[in-house]
Amino acid sequence: MELAAVVIVPPAESSAAIPGLAPQASVREHALNSHSLASLLTPILGNDILHAWIERIRKLGVPSLWLSSSGQEKLACSTLQAFASQGIQRFLTIKLKSYAEMDLSDLIHFHCESRNTVTEVHDSLGQLGVRVFDHPAAANGNCEYCAPADAGHSAYPFHGYAKRVLSARERQDLVGDVLIGGCAMRPLGKEVDENVWLGEGAKIADSVRLIGPSYIGAHTEIRSGATIGPFASIERDCLVDYGTTVERSTLLPGTYLASGLMIRHALVDGRYLEDVNSGVIADLEPAGLTARTASSRRRISFSSADVPAWGSKGPAAQWRKVQL
Amino acid sequence: MIPADRTVLPFPCPCAPNSRSSKLLRRKLRSALRISELPVIVDLSHCGTLNRDDIELLLDCAAQGAGRDTPIVVVAGSPVTQVLLEVVRISSLIPVFSSVEEALGYTKTGGMSRVERNQNAVEYLK
Repeated sequence: MELAAVVIVPPAESSAAIPGLAPQASVREHALNSHSLASLLTPILGNDILHAWIERIRKLGVPSLWLSSSGQEKLACSTLQAFASQGIQRFLTIKLKSYAEMDLSDLIHFHCESRNTVTEVHDSLGQLGVRVFDHPAAANGNCEYCAPADAGHSAYPFHGYAKRVLSARERQDLVGDVLIGGCAMRPLGKEVDENVWLGEGAKIADSVRLIGPSYIGAHTEIRSGATIGPFASIERDCLVDYGTTVERSTLLPGTYLASGLMIRHALVDGRYLEDVNSGVIADLEPAGLTARTASSRRRISFSSADVPAWGSKGPAAQWRKVQL
Repeated sequence: MIPADRTVLPFPCPCAPNSRSSKLLRRKLRSALRISELPVIVDLSHCGTLNRDDIELLLDCAAQGAGRDTPIVVVAGSPVTQVLLEVVRISSLIPVFSSVEEALGYTKTGGMSRVERNQNAVEYLK
């Protein structure tokens, strides 16, 4: 049975992250409307979570995968019909809300063995947003919504490392786990001191105090008198000005922090700062405290052949095909 | 009701930074901090956000507070303002409260003495 892999990315930022997907909201709208600045479309210690999932899918031998920016939790009838018309009747869907060190081939094997229509991955906290389902009747209009309630379901128990990233706190927890070696992901850079990693081209002034575990991304500059760490993650292309402290916090790519600030338990994305504990989002730009650096975000880009047109029945603008 | 032995000063709202009333409020705030011997509560609860001038003025307030025997406290009003005050380190220099009532309660008990404040500042600098 031919398998289609679909990664459902959060709609709010998908257009900025993945060229070709339908625009959903500007970054400003995202910051003001969303509950959190946390997103798995931004790097974690230089690592790209979407690409980590894509690599796992690639190992399945699937020729291509589909990225969807649909805000829907499940695939719509019309979408399944469009897939079915191409002879695809088994689906692996991954909602990009978690990082999980999962062997997808074992999941597919489990699904085949169980002979159920739907296999949902669970860990100790519940569903992880990863499922495999067969849909022989998709072409007849039976979709996930309309499938009979008694359709066979099975739960795939996952005992490996998994972390949901729906809030700034969960994101910071994942950063902490990576920094202390609590999972297989490693910071993208060179370990220059015990638990201190520097990305390529990072510039650190002599008087900077680096407290491990911490990470400073590629082409980021830290100016004199700053204190970084512990548990600080400064992603690429950031600039931390004189005397500023960043502790148990993350700066997303391309963030500028003014002099003399105290950033603690926070996630900062350009002008916005989210307090990790309270979830409060503050706009620091009117006070001239933060900004976007000149070297703006370098987002994920796919150079592979794209097939944005999905056919008359499908929501073409919300899909992007990635050749593996 | 605000007791007569404490002064509550509304912080000049940043929405009209160059207006006459705003300038008047800023002058009033500065002179009250300089001459008043009563505990002073600077109330930011009507401020939606803070700009550079506001932060400068608040740092001025903190500096005035260092040389006084009676405390200066700030009412942030909103969680967003509270976050801003933490980021610019003002909350480590002067006490910040969520409401005027909380601030009144603190100043009623006398707040921190100058010696305690100085000790706190030293601890913070360590």
